[in-house]
Amino acid sequence: MIHETSQMDNRDDALLVQIRGLTKRYGGRITAVDDLDLAVKRGEVYGFLGPNGAGKTTTLRMLLGLIKPTSGSATVMGEEPGSPAGLTRVGALVESPAFYPYLSGRDNLRVMAHYSGVAPSRVEEVLQQVELSGRANDKFKKYSLGMKQRLGVATALLKDPELLILDEPANGLDPKGIADMRAIIRKVRDEGKTVLLSSHLLGEVEQICDRIGVILKGKLVIERTMVELRDREGGLLIRAEPLEEAARVVKNLPRIEESKVVDGMLQLTVDPARAADINATLVNAGVRVSELRPDERSLEEMFLELTGGETV
Amino acid sequence: MAASFAAELLKLRKRPATWVLAAIWLAFVILFAYALPYAFFANLPEPEVPENAPPEIQSEMQAQNEAASEQLMSQLYPENLTSYVLSGFSGTGGTLALILGALAVGSEYGWGTLKTVLSQRPGRLGTFFAKMLALVVMLALFVVLAFVLGAVCSLVVAGLQGAPVDWPPLAELLEALGAGAIILAAWAALGVFLATLFRSTALAIGLGLFYALALEGLVFGLPIPNQTFQDARQFFLGQNSSFLANSFGGEALQQNFALSGSDIGAAQAALVLCAYLAAFVLIAALVFRQRDVT
Repeated sequence: MIHETSQMDNRDDALLVQIRGLTKRYGGRITAVDDLDLAVKRGEVYGFLGPNGAGKTTTLRMLLGLIKPTSGSATVMGEEPGSPAGLTRVGALVESPAFYPYLSGRDNLRVMAHYSGVAPSRVEEVLQQVELSGRANDKFKKYSLGMKQRLGVATALLKDPELLILDEPANGLDPKGIADMRAIIRKVRDEGKTVLLSSHLLGEVEQICDRIGVILKGKLVIERTMVELRDREGGLLIRAEPLEEAARVVKNLPRIEESKVVDGMLQLTVDPARAADINATLVNAGVRVSELRPDERSLEEMFLELTGGETV
Repeated sequence: MAASFAAELLKLRKRPATWVLAAIWLAFVILFAYALPYAFFANLPEPEVPENAPPEIQSEMQAQNEAASEQLMSQLYPENLTSYVLSGFSGTGGTLALILGALAVGSEYGWGTLKTVLSQRPGRLGTFFAKMLALVVMLALFVVLAFVLGAVCSLVVAGLQGAPVDWPPLAELLEALGAGAIILAAWAALGVFLATLFRSTALAIGLGLFYALALEGLVFGLPIPNQTFQDARQFFLGQNSSFLANSFGGEALQQNFALSGSDIGAAQAALVLCAYLAAFVLIAALVFRQRDVT
């Protein structure tokens, strides 16, 4: 298992979430979160990735003061987790959205607005923001999963928070809902806010996160910026005729770590900047090259490699 | 805490279960406290008079029957409003308050809404005591509604019987309102306590009802002559609710409900109930503050 951390901006004022050695054990046997160190910088969208049961939700609950850590410490907005001073500046959706089934969406938001101490006018604003105004008078129990999720996000946005903590916000959403959710998160980020986003869907975070941390069995196994991740795993894919001859030619080239045939294409582990040289060599060797492009392997494949094969 | 109180009140006010309980409570006052007793008292069976009894004996028995009927009927008159309405608080009122208390807290665990609420701003103790305050307001409404409805019913009965309309003194009425509120609050606190402890509505209501309807009765039925045990019975929640509820009104009325061997005064009963109320709320608050919300 690889444990890597990227270079971070260590100025404390830039860190909205700071976790040091956070551990949560249940009954002495189950360790849900194990000596976790993590930091979220102001203005970024941080993807908190891990398979089900990895400890994501437990960590987020600790950040909100819902559960107490066994050891270690955390600060959110520079305050102790769960303190009113910190929570005032944090919006959160943890796990499945939970609301009062007998109240309408609007009334649920009114209740939460009271708790949050925000003006009632915010209720209508966030309803519009998540496109739920048309169904705001329906009872929560009649909402579809997607609508419930939207209401959860609306609640998280009520305080116009500096930090948004979203736990699997795309759960149960259809493709349009997922796209809408991404748009909301991007909009929030564009407003200069910070987002801590947990997910087990790699594709979801790949498109919107600036930085990711992967948690497995309660431990952080990698923390990287998306740029670092993509740069790290370079390569080229070549479609050529005859393929066997192409493979033989590239094998003799220097600084090629690996070459193999995958799905009718030659896959090279090499600096993508050498594409033109390799193309010229193949053409000179009489190989007809019909396609040559960077191998942008999905994050999923990278994670499978980085985490020793455990699925995320 | 004012904002949290507004949120809690909104939740209770809009919750159908609150009004179902209120409707049951009011139906109880109308039907079981006034309508059925009135029908019964107005139609007491004629006493069996021996045929060979002299006419003066027959008319004396008839008069005694009418007097008994009138005495029973007088409980329903406005002058006995406080004692009569309050007597229903210890049983039915307490049970409904217990259910309301258990629902107010237990549902938060059942629906998982506690995490949503506590992720806002208010802080755990602020949330808890705002909830208690909203519950007290709702219970106060239950108390006032029962007395208002009782007053209307007693007025109707007096009108039907042609009896004079004399209301109890204001001070007595206020004391009765206070006593009613203490009884309901103590039982609601038991519901809150159980719901917090077990993080559940169903179990809290089940255990609460078991205590209210069975456990105290079972304990009282134990043939233990020990004086300490006998004395300890005077500190049970149900007993003291009954003591307080039946401490108003005349001697005759009190005798109907008096518990054998008991001479607990209203003040002591109120004190014991307040102690229960404080203990239930404080322990529940501590548990609520300390426990993980999973």
